[in-house]
Amino acid sequence: MVSPDPAGVPAEESGRRLLQRRFTARLLPQVRLLVEECAAREGLGEPRRGEFVLAVDEIAGNAVEHAGGAGRLVLRRVGDELECRISDAGPGFSEEVIPELLPGLDGAPKGRGLWLARLVADRFTVAAGAPGPGGPGAVVTLAVRLR
Amino acid sequence: MSARDTGGDRLLPVQHLRPGDHAFVSYGDDEVRWEAVTAFVRLGLARGEKVLVLPCPGVPEDEVLARLDFPGRSTVPARGRGQLVVSCMREVIRPDTEFTAARQMGRLYAETDRATAEGYAGLRAYIDMGWVRALGADVEVMACRETGAQALFTGRPYTELCAYDRRRFDRAVLAAMERAHPRSLLERLGSLRSLRAPDGALCFVGEADAAHRTAFGRSLELALAQTAPARRLTVDLTRLHFLSVGCAVGLLRLAMGAAGHDLVEVRCAAGQRRLLQRLGAGTVPRLALTEVVRAW
Repeated sequence: MVSPDPAGVPAEESGRRLLQRRFTARLLPQVRLLVEECAAREGLGEPRRGEFVLAVDEIAGNAVEHAGGAGRLVLRRVGDELECRISDAGPGFSEEVIPELLPGLDGAPKGRGLWLARLVADRFTVAAGAPGPGGPGAVVTLAVRLR
Repeated sequence: MSARDTGGDRLLPVQHLRPGDHAFVSYGDDEVRWEAVTAFVRLGLARGEKVLVLPCPGVPEDEVLARLDFPGRSTVPARGRGQLVVSCMREVIRPDTEFTAARQMGRLYAETDRATAEGYAGLRAYIDMGWVRALGADVEVMACRETGAQALFTGRPYTELCAYDRRRFDRAVLAAMERAHPRSLLERLGSLRSLRAPDGALCFVGEADAAHRTAFGRSLELALAQTAPARRLTVDLTRLHFLSVGCAVGLLRLAMGAAGHDLVEVRCAAGQRRLLQRLGAGTVPRLALTEVVRAW
């Protein structure tokens, strides 16, 4: 099963923490279950709950594929929002790499997951993470309104 | 991803269980055994149901609670308020000491009524069938119970998951027990199964995540090749609990390239339909999305 994340939560974080996990590819099914469980408990109904879990999985999967195979997820209730922050220690990226328009089906296969995650989120940001041996890292934050 | 088709029409991911469902799951590993029960319990609690867990006799309660609690001590509040109860079959049939189906079902029926009276959305019970040997019960009695338990489920907010350890029951009993349940569950979280339905439709069951993108695509390619003479393929996604962007795009690209087909029909849930439309389903000729509302 998933092991507890020893890392602390930065002091500037607000809201009520619901979940904190480190993840690898192997643990993504469990992470989806836990995110779904927390979202249901906080009252996020379908179809938004399924879209939120999909968006979280796409961002976490992006960290696994492009940022050293692992990442860290923090899920919080912030006011009337459910917020998920996913950080990694990879080479970092900016929101500019996410296509504005969905690439055609015959086009490049990359970027659709992040494009979809941004589309379904009510709030979405990409920021630089804490520099590490793998690069500057990235922190992706997405949030959905619960009401 | 395997393509076994035994019991395929009843196969579901654990996340799809709903009130009124009576499901079978088997396990053969002391780690894997916790995956279905953990998901079953935690999703039930999150949905506001009361949850009764009857683990395999001999497994220490501390281990059961630790497994259910795997992110910290997250089910402690539910246990404190009585929403989550860990018990045993001996307790369920008390004051009787010998198992009878009538006694057990009567108690579970009453517990369902009690759960709703307490304000819960219903009752869900996880029953590890290790109790059969522990109580010296007859397998035939158990089989009669499993096939004759409709009154517990029909029109009632009761969900039951019966777990069988493949190391404790022989194959014939397991096969009979699987047939006796209206639902059968995938053993592991994050798994994907592809099946061919009696009408020829290619059915996916489970979670089509990034780990299964290649296998998902191969199943589609094979099905397209097999249906080339008929020029028509139906793909059923309704028993997928999770459809990743990568798998959804893979489906659309293969459908777009299936120039020899007159029709590729995709049966899907509302959320899957919205995802496929967002990813460009409308630009794929000969593709038809049919939204299916779960009838059970």
